[in-house]
Amino acid sequence: MSAVHTPDRLAVADAVKRVVIAESRLSVPTSRISESEPLVGELLRVNSLGFVGMLVRIEDELDVVLPDDLFVGRTFHTVGDLIDVVADGAEAGR
Amino acid sequence: MVTAPPAGTPAATGSDARPGPASSPDALLTAAREAFAAAPPIGADAYHRYARELAARLTADWPALTRANRRDIERAERAGMPPVLVDRLRLTDDHLPRLTALADRAGHELAALTAADTGRPAGAWGTLRRVPRPLGVVLMVYEARPTVTVDGALLPVLAGNAVLLRGGKEMADTDAALAATAHAALRAAGLPTGLVTVLHDPRRALLRALLQRPDAIDVLIPRGSPSLIAHCRDAGRIPLIASGGGVNHLYVHASADLPLAATVTLDSKLPEPAGCTSVELVLADRSVATAYTAELLRQAERRGARFTVRLDPSVAPPAGGDPDRIAPLAEHDIGREFLDPVVGVLAVDGPGQAIAHIRRHGSGHTEGVLATDPDVAAGFTRAVDAAAVIVNGSLRLHDGPKLGLGTELAIATGRLHVRGPVTLGSLMTSGWVVEANGELRG
Repeated sequence: MSAVHTPDRLAVADAVKRVVIAESRLSVPTSRISESEPLVGELLRVNSLGFVGMLVRIEDELDVVLPDDLFVGRTFHTVGDLIDVVADGAEAGR
Repeated sequence: MVTAPPAGTPAATGSDARPGPASSPDALLTAAREAFAAAPPIGADAYHRYARELAARLTADWPALTRANRRDIERAERAGMPPVLVDRLRLTDDHLPRLTALADRAGHELAALTAADTGRPAGAWGTLRRVPRPLGVVLMVYEARPTVTVDGALLPVLAGNAVLLRGGKEMADTDAALAATAHAALRAAGLPTGLVTVLHDPRRALLRALLQRPDAIDVLIPRGSPSLIAHCRDAGRIPLIASGGGVNHLYVHASADLPLAATVTLDSKLPEPAGCTSVELVLADRSVATAYTAELLRQAERRGARFTVRLDPSVAPPAGGDPDRIAPLAEHDIGREFLDPVVGVLAVDGPGQAIAHIRRHGSGHTEGVLATDPDVAAGFTRAVDAAAVIVNGSLRLHDGPKLGLGTELAIATGRLHVRGPVTLGSLMTSGWVVEANGELRG
């Protein structure tokens, strides 16, 4: 199955931010999250055991299909790291 | 830093549902439905035998199960998974007596749940009996926790259901070993092994395909991260038994016994800071907010507990309190789960304001009130709509066994079928048997 469109980086950033907010059990607007925000810090609490849920949710939000191994072997520090990888994955899935 | 888990490895043991033709959605669902159709009626002796066999085989297989678990642990550690997450994957010797006790308890509960209904008169012509029935084929989707695989292989099956278990790929070897144990127990009990299917195929496409099959899956039970539950809720049309997050509050009324309120707060947080029944925000009447916070910090200090209060900046901090234990409550702390030994304290002007806050920010999971004024407590329980509302007690009382409701699979926050502890009885439905003696409708 291939994706029918490639979302732009802004759309990817918005989807990723919504998902990391939910994963961190927060109730804040996406505008509160910068790309330099640490994934594990004062505000966000993202952990790798939630990656399956995050990936399917991001796919839902962006209407794309991302590779199953998109996150495998990678290390993420900030929200921006996650956005970069998802944007690349969405592009590769075209 | 967040390091992704390693790719799923083929399971080392077990007999089902690896990637391949046999793990196509059609094949999996056909096998599960055939097993469900072939299974004996709910309450049959075979289910009681299964509970006993599973307990016995978990004990006998424990060395093999822990060896399989060590392989998963080593793989996770090699991949750089943080120790706190590795611990969630770990099967320890403390788990075994808990799991065998669970099987034993559930077996006893089954007898009570399936005891014959003596019936009630239907008019002057017949008798009506309510009889328990299984839900059907259940799909459980969860993240990597080995004990959930045992819960899932036990409780839904005792209720007469067939179950598909889709756990995290980080647990591939452990889950395969547990599947072998469950299958051996099913065989020994005389039940179809297809009643328990552990899905070893980690591809999300399989999960998506299963979620599109309301024709073959009767109930979906997701447990895990908010994203996973949201996806399961939104992706398909399968009825769902799900727990939302626990953005839980305690309201401390001016009439509250403040030492009790502090003790209850600490018991609602410290033993399981990231648990779904953990308290996140205390709404304290302004007139007692400082005194309550002082008592809270005093008790935490006495326990030597790692504990922080995020205090409403409009509340005067208690004199002489350890400043390292107090931080300012920020706007983003409202409506969040801290997942740590941290509690927010927000001043409110009376029960009306507390209830309005809970209605706006609560997740309908577990809410509590501390008050000696019975009218305040009664008003709170009438106005706050949550799966459980606790009066003058710990939020962690919201637990099936502790409440005497029975073993539980999860705590549900949905509004239909079950709300609160998802017990063995919640994994069944019921039907009517009508002894009509020739009566016609006319």
